Amino acid sequence: MSTLKVTRREMLAAMAAAGLSTGFYPKAALSEDRKVLRVRAYADIQSLDPAYRKAAPDDDVMRNIFPGLATMTPGDEWKWQPDTVSRLEQVDPTHIEFTLMDGLTWSDGYGPVTAEDVKYSFERMISPEVDSPYKGDWEALDHVEVKDEKSGVIVLKGPFPPLWNVGLVFGSGRIISKKAVEAAGGKFDTKPPAQCGRYLLKEWLPKQRVVLVRNPDWPGEPGAFEEIHVVPIEDEKTAELGLEAGDLDYTWVSVSSIPRYTENPPRNASIVVKPSLAYVWLGMNQQAAPFDKLEVRRAVQHAIDVPAVLEAAYFGAAAPATGLIAPGLIGHREKTLFSYDPDKARDFLKQAGMEAGFECTIDVLNKAERISAAQAIQANLAEIGINVEIRQHDSGTFWSLGDEKSGDSWKTLQLIISRFSMQPDPSFATDWFTPEQIGVWNWERWNSPEYGELNSKAKLETDPAKRHEMYVRMQDLMEESGSYVFLTHEAVGVGQSNTITPALMPNGNPIFYEFKPAA
Amino acid sequence: MLSYGLRRVGLAAVITAVALALLISMIQLIPGDPAAVLLGPLASPEMRETFRVQMGLDQPTLVQIIRFFGRALTGDLGTDVLTNRPVLLTVMEQFPFTLTLIVASLGWSALIGIPLGAWSAIRRGSWADSLVGILSVGSIALPSFVVAVYSLLFFSVTLGWFPTIGAGEPGRPLDQLYHLVLPSLAVGLGWVGYLARMVRASMLEVLGENHIRMARAFGLPERFITFRYALKLAIIPTVVLLGVGMGHMISSAVFAEIVFARPGVGRLIFDSIATRNYPVVMGAVMITTIFYVFCTLCADLVAAWLDPRVRASL
Repeated sequence: MSTLKVTRREMLAAMAAAGLSTGFYPKAALSEDRKVLRVRAYADIQSLDPAYRKAAPDDDVMRNIFPGLATMTPGDEWKWQPDTVSRLEQVDPTHIEFTLMDGLTWSDGYGPVTAEDVKYSFERMISPEVDSPYKGDWEALDHVEVKDEKSGVIVLKGPFPPLWNVGLVFGSGRIISKKAVEAAGGKFDTKPPAQCGRYLLKEWLPKQRVVLVRNPDWPGEPGAFEEIHVVPIEDEKTAELGLEAGDLDYTWVSVSSIPRYTENPPRNASIVVKPSLAYVWLGMNQQAAPFDKLEVRRAVQHAIDVPAVLEAAYFGAAAPATGLIAPGLIGHREKTLFSYDPDKARDFLKQAGMEAGFECTIDVLNKAERISAAQAIQANLAEIGINVEIRQHDSGTFWSLGDEKSGDSWKTLQLIISRFSMQPDPSFATDWFTPEQIGVWNWERWNSPEYGELNSKAKLETDPAKRHEMYVRMQDLMEESGSYVFLTHEAVGVGQSNTITPALMPNGNPIFYEFKPAA
Repeated sequence: MLSYGLRRVGLAAVITAVALALLISMIQLIPGDPAAVLLGPLASPEMRETFRVQMGLDQPTLVQIIRFFGRALTGDLGTDVLTNRPVLLTVMEQFPFTLTLIVASLGWSALIGIPLGAWSAIRRGSWADSLVGILSVGSIALPSFVVAVYSLLFFSVTLGWFPTIGAGEPGRPLDQLYHLVLPSLAVGLGWVGYLARMVRASMLEVLGENHIRMARAFGLPERFITFRYALKLAIIPTVVLLGVGMGHMISSAVFAEIVFARPGVGRLIFDSIATRNYPVVMGAVMITTIFYVFCTLCADLVAAWLDPRVRASL
């Protein structure tokens, strides 16, 4: 048997060569990667079943691997466009006719995509056995009629405008293979039993990446990249460095980084600021003294200088909100009812018999923006004699605070800064503040039957003008209650490599299959 | 040696059981409702209740712990409630990444730290010894996450020499090694100084002992005395330290895995605590605890093998 003899000098030379080789390695990786789009997701995928999806990264992947009847149009205006159909038409308020495009075929030998698959996918969303958390997206669905192999009619129980803004265009509107899912036992997780999209899920390496590969059997225009690598990176700052170093082509950056990047864009990349649909507000628990007095709540509404709070928290990157509903959507209000006026705030405190001030708490998620906002509010309230103690929580703790089923913390909540994400339909914002939501997501414990009634009616209203008035009135009611100070919708900073042209929804949400290399 | 080994293995089993019971009890004390966090705002109260029953959260803490241990003995660590995959699979997919990071970090820090400490000891009082002392204490004082962020900024963003994220292409060892450079630098740097100080102190103690003086009196070469006699003895406490260090580095690995977006058990535990994914937290804590106890056990056995006096101490 021969032995390998290496002298110390040879070993040192080999090590030096190995070290030097890393110097040219990045160039090799770069040239290879031009066929690969590398994008960041803020979390790993959890479930690709439309009925049980957990978060936006699931939706972002599903959009590429499953067909749908409609999808959101990339650009600055919220509007839908036909997806994998040759015809899609609302023939009357309760009937939507569709015809699937030719040539759609499921992977893994499950045959063509049929109207029966559409019926199965949508009716499954409202099935009591499936008990999907997203059944509300299809709450008006009665049934789907199959006319022939590719055509059918969606029959609704009543008019339902949110279907076009949420149900049909996002995850709940994805079509899955009836045969394949039934063969898999009626549900699946991160391994779809059959796929049919511009891309196919090739592999998922947990905590590393999702690899999507261009679908060779796609009958329409193929995706521009051979592969899309979706990399889960929870930490925004790490993702920002990844973009700066050229390891990522697309990522959202933190709101607080937007001003810095706008002034000094990263090398070979640019930052685009998009209006967010999310809403951030200061809530007051009406059942926790002294906020059970309207005068005290009104004093807080007048004591908070919202632009100053936003300057402290977002360094000028976020504009003040006028309500729950962001600009560009039905129901957006032009202005708030109450504004910053410390003298009025003191008067209201006097009316409440609390001119000497008092001590209270504010609960916030331990995110830099939220904590800075709480500190600015603390300073505002100190000016009128209210001493605020800031209580920070991690996400697991914070999101249970107002939930009656999770303990007694809801009883001691006083001030809360919250942020809810949003879909492009106003009902998605207003659903959480109804009387039925008290102790669930209505942590302010505000009870307005008028609001609840309007919320139900507005969902069914097909006249956009009337619908708009209803949502404006609902936000007025919220503000008149004294329990809400609307802070901001934040902003979305999209970081993109100069080598790509992304396709984004108005709020910066990505449509990966429409991303293209830069011209 | 066999008797010592058996006693030490028995003790390791007890330590593992106690540590796991404590850690898993602590997990139960974390505030927040897993059902609310995991199912999100759209889940109905009925869905949350069903979820609580499925996870066993409706049972008293003691019952939950006993059930977990009972299942764990059969190799079943439960199901990841987010992905519905077996926890054992989820954890074992991540564990090799953490192990690689720890071994690489400890490996390079030992390769540099141990000779540096020995070299410093034989030059006691010189300017070189002082310089090594300053650098060692300096490296110990630097938190690993600070090293991680600055190395990322300098070597990746500014110079573009190393990648910022990930663990490299699966099946390409050189690429994986390339992705390992900065994380292992961040995790291991403090240990260079730590090991250098430890070896230096042990060496100085050994160099003052009678048998070394005797060797010198016989006229044996200083280099021979240092590396053949002194270092062999001085390295024993360092071997034990390396065992403890393997476990300790798991905590440093958490930061490195987050900053470099590397897969690994540390990041898995961090994310799972944030989402209150208790089965994964418990499974991952169990694997890392067993790993830690196993490392200290190996270190003790090696120390006992090198120095018979250790065997009598248990």
